[in-house]
Amino acid sequence: MTKQPIIRFDGVSKRYGDDATILDDISFEMERGKFYTLLGPSGCGKTTILRLIAGFIEPTAGQILFDGKNINDVPPNERQVNTVFQDYALFPHLNVFENVAFGLRIKKVKGPEVKRRVEEALRFVNLEGYGGREISEMSGGQRQRVAIARAIVNDPEVILLDEPLSALDLKLRTEMQYELRELQQRLGKTFIFVTHDQEEALAMSDEIFVMNAGQIIQSGTPIDIYDEPISRFVADFIGESNIVDGVMIRDQLVLFAGKEFECVDAGLDPNEKIEVVIRPEDLEITSPEKGKLVVTVDTQLFRGVHYELSTYDKDGNEWLVHSTKKAQVGDEIGLDFDPEAIHVMRLNESEEDFDRRLESYEVTGHAE
Amino acid sequence: MQSKSARALYLIPYGAWILLFVVAPIALVGYYSLFDLHGSFTFGNYRNFFSSIYLRLTLSSFWYAFLITLFSLLIAYPTAYYLTKTKHKQLWLLLIIIPSWINLLLKTYAFIGIFGQYGPINALFAAIGIGNKQILFTDFSFIFVSVYIFIPFMILPIFNAIDRLNPALIDASRDLGANSWTTFRRVILPLTMNGVKSGIQVTFIPALSLFMITRLIAGNKVITLGTAIEQQFLVTQNWGMGSTIAVFLILFMFIIMLFTEQREKGGTGNGRNR
Amino acid sequence: MAGTGKGQKLFLGLVFLILYAPIFFLIFYSFNSGGTMTSFESFTWEHYAAVFEDTRLIMIVFNTVIVALLSSLLATTIGVLGALAIVYMKNRKLRSTLLSLNNVLIVSPDVIIGASFLILFTALGVKLGFTSVLVSHVAFSVPIVVLMVLPKLLEMSNSLIDAARDLGASGKDVLTRVIIPYIKPGIFAGFFLALTYSLDDFAVTFFVTGNGFSTLSVEIYSMARAGITLTINALSGLLFIVTVGLVLGYYALNRRSKTLFTGVKR
Repeated sequence: MTKQPIIRFDGVSKRYGDDATILDDISFEMERGKFYTLLGPSGCGKTTILRLIAGFIEPTAGQILFDGKNINDVPPNERQVNTVFQDYALFPHLNVFENVAFGLRIKKVKGPEVKRRVEEALRFVNLEGYGGREISEMSGGQRQRVAIARAIVNDPEVILLDEPLSALDLKLRTEMQYELRELQQRLGKTFIFVTHDQEEALAMSDEIFVMNAGQIIQSGTPIDIYDEPISRFVADFIGESNIVDGVMIRDQLVLFAGKEFECVDAGLDPNEKIEVVIRPEDLEITSPEKGKLVVTVDTQLFRGVHYELSTYDKDGNEWLVHSTKKAQVGDEIGLDFDPEAIHVMRLNESEEDFDRRLESYEVTGHAE
Repeated sequence: MQSKSARALYLIPYGAWILLFVVAPIALVGYYSLFDLHGSFTFGNYRNFFSSIYLRLTLSSFWYAFLITLFSLLIAYPTAYYLTKTKHKQLWLLLIIIPSWINLLLKTYAFIGIFGQYGPINALFAAIGIGNKQILFTDFSFIFVSVYIFIPFMILPIFNAIDRLNPALIDASRDLGANSWTTFRRVILPLTMNGVKSGIQVTFIPALSLFMITRLIAGNKVITLGTAIEQQFLVTQNWGMGSTIAVFLILFMFIIMLFTEQREKGGTGNGRNR
Repeated sequence: MAGTGKGQKLFLGLVFLILYAPIFFLIFYSFNSGGTMTSFESFTWEHYAAVFEDTRLIMIVFNTVIVALLSSLLATTIGVLGALAIVYMKNRKLRSTLLSLNNVLIVSPDVIIGASFLILFTALGVKLGFTSVLVSHVAFSVPIVVLMVLPKLLEMSNSLIDAARDLGASGKDVLTRVIIPYIKPGIFAGFFLALTYSLDDFAVTFFVTGNGFSTLSVEIYSMARAGITLTINALSGLLFIVTVGLVLGYYALNRRSKTLFTGVKR
């Protein structure tokens, strides 16, 4: 594919004064028409990336390219980018129609054309007929849609969404996840979505950028990131994980919790110290005799679709188990898992090295 | 993001206003206080101020201002408190405020009639057998009219403070075993102190410098700093002495402001739900 | 909790009675043909007629209104710009200094303002009269407007401005299409307060006015010092009606705008 990336960051840094570094030498590319998520804890710099793309702030170093052109000095009102703000930032003195029409009015679009496009945008977000309402009369979810309509009506190349679902309650949030994803696919525009909620990120994105402390730690599809977290941070941040220290004996053989296990990872040094991740849902409850690991059940919670068990092995490692089977608190049980469930993480491996190593053995290893 | 030039543009008229009408006048008052009637440099005005006449005047001015503030507060606090309990409190508050929007001069003028030799108060006195009394041009009439004028200004900040009080705090206090009086003393009063302070500020400082009411109601006596300044500026034309008194009045003003400075405590912030 | 008890009602009633007594006293005697405020003889409109026949008095009312309107308009303009300047001030120290300076005229006693302005105008060689009165009224109204507008500006979320920029608005668009409409209630409140401050002012005007120019307050003062004339009573009756009308109008406007602008849901 020779298609130009719609957005490219080239060694971009953002610092305030001498001490506070928000973004540290970041480079990435984003393709047209995809749904991207910047995921990370608060203060990791994800919103800063959004504000840099929108043009509210300028980078301290590096270049931001939009469709191949440097836009470092382009003010926000001249960028083909629109933002859906966290607090929606709807103008309280204008009604729904005029809020959506704001951008068109600024561009001096003719009256009938404004009406047509605003109504189309409102229809797009399922708010047909709400144009005459005041913002104060709209519910949280409706305001959210107005904010989206106001962004899409201007037909921008890129739509930025700054934690737009965080103010909604759980049910509405799940609903909006579907709607946003569907909207993005219908529009075919690039969406850049910022969130600290890993579930949102996994559910909606084509690609996730996991961020921490001003850097992009890992990027990839939701499945890649979930199944192959690069580090303890990513594994911990995305989903629930059991992480224990171990040693890589040789390719496809790993030692942890006092035992050797068969695995699919390769390309590491012999006897290298590593960390092992096993997802709670990959652990199967069985009898102590059949189990690869033997643990004692400490607590058990009913979570609706599954039971969540907190168990400990004899070394004191905690093993979280998600299972449809029940156990008794205090009982000794066995845990079974496939070799594929074991994921080995090298300490301090860079994303490039990680990707290269993965490719080297995935060709021969389990098929994708 | 507003461009820098726009920001500078906002600042020009406002900055000019501050320089011309805030800084310059105070500086000029200070400057003029150093000149005597003939325009020669002197500290005489300051020496004069510390003579017994002006010291007594300052003292009596403070005494009157204190009484006026005290009586205003004694009436305004319960009024504000009861007002917050009424059903249409905003409307009642508005009705309390309306008289303060009637020209001050007119109200003062009305009291000339009411307190007059043949006015309704004296008629009432005569009817109940006390007999005719000289009310106008007494300390009583001066303080009464001043309190009358200041009450609405005292009520307003106190009302706002009480109104902003989170009612759950009162319930909590009662729940924890405090009776009404203790609740008032330990919870309501401390939390509405900022309102009381603002009320004192808007009453005490103007009360120090009253001159119109003094002239009309208390007769032609010079009993407050305000009257003294007016006298020096507009009657005897001694701007130097007038400025000197003004310098002290400004000093007192700053001291009072320091005393009644608002500290942002939980009080008004609590239950800020509107 | 108990509602308003008997004692509380009585107290409130008494306060109301005392607050309104002088006003109704004035209005009552404005219909007295006797010409004094002591014994009511018979009903008459003659004092009201006298007000409308007194061209000098009407001129003064006209002056007062013109000064009030002009000064509030100018003060509102300067005040709104001032509030914007304060809000955009990055330097915290400078900002709080500006705010303190802003409040000086609000807490200053009228006598001080009047006296110091008198010195200022004399020093600048401004002739005392219409100009000096107008300028003084503008000067003491500016800080009130700032104080009314500032909270609205501060309460406005920064993301609103970002949103406007994001949607293509230039700096000027942001000001005229977002900021000004948003702070409109504050601007109106400021203008209205400036209006009442100006209409109500006596002391400052008394100091800075010269021969031949007078406002209502100053005129009433000199009339009152000269002794009782029931023309003043008739005038107060008229002013009372106008004031109550204005206040009620403002109240109605404010109530409506509250739901309109602050987004309070029922």
